[in-house]
Amino acid sequence: MIDDFDKLSVTDLKLRGMPSDQILAEQKRRGMSPGAIHDAWYPKPPTYDRIGSRRWRRLLVVGTYGGWLLLAVIMKLASTPDSSFPVIPFVPLANVVVALVWFGRRTYLGREVLAGDFGLDERLIQNRNQAFRRAFQLFASFALIAWLLSLVAMWLQPVNQGLTNAVLLYMGAALLGTTLPTVIWAWREPDPLTTNEESA
Amino acid sequence: MLRAERDLSRQQLADALGINYQTIGYLERGDYNPSLELAFRIAEYFGLPLEAVFSRQPFAPMSSQLYRKEESA
Repeated sequence: MIDDFDKLSVTDLKLRGMPSDQILAEQKRRGMSPGAIHDAWYPKPPTYDRIGSRRWRRLLVVGTYGGWLLLAVIMKLASTPDSSFPVIPFVPLANVVVALVWFGRRTYLGREVLAGDFGLDERLIQNRNQAFRRAFQLFASFALIAWLLSLVAMWLQPVNQGLTNAVLLYMGAALLGTTLPTVIWAWREPDPLTTNEESA
Repeated sequence: MLRAERDLSRQQLADALGINYQTIGYLERGDYNPSLELAFRIAEYFGLPLEAVFSRQPFAPMSSQLYRKEESA
């Protein structure tokens, strides 16, 4: 019997030459529940595996960023020179929605992506680093332009309208700063294996 | 091909190499070029020289290679 049975996955046990029926018998002998046995045989893929098709991810990028931009333009047009309403409540709310979408379980920005290299192989580390590098390039460019524009906006219009413009620019920068690495990763990652390919 | 010959699933090969199973799929589809370190690990795992596993040119179909061998023999 393999000593570290509890520490090894079913795949590892098989690779060490333990037959499937013996693994199952040993799991039952150790009092594992049917659910635990099922999970041991069919482990849930880590978060970064549940990524969906590239087409779906790209639609999500266009939907979230495009939706945010559309809302920002509408709110900007709806705001008046003497009031920042409705920019102030709605645009930050849109930021929260977009961030929640991209922080969700089906997208990339899981804890493991930011926490370190744990659980990532060389391809995933490489993709993560490329995404962060590209995100920084884009974000830095946008932030510099937005910074200058916001100063000009408040200098030319030291009333609510200037504040509205500045808030819009700040919210745009905040959105990019928090979600862009994930979005770039999602945009670039190839299609995952299909169900048929996975069982191969 | 090598993996199928040895009756290994992607997950089994990925576990043995310590990489994500999706990476095996991307390698097989040509969507990802491995580092030299990973390439050597894969070649060592299969017990073959590096050039038998990886090539900058697409490998010719095995049937045509076998057929040419038989003809030249």
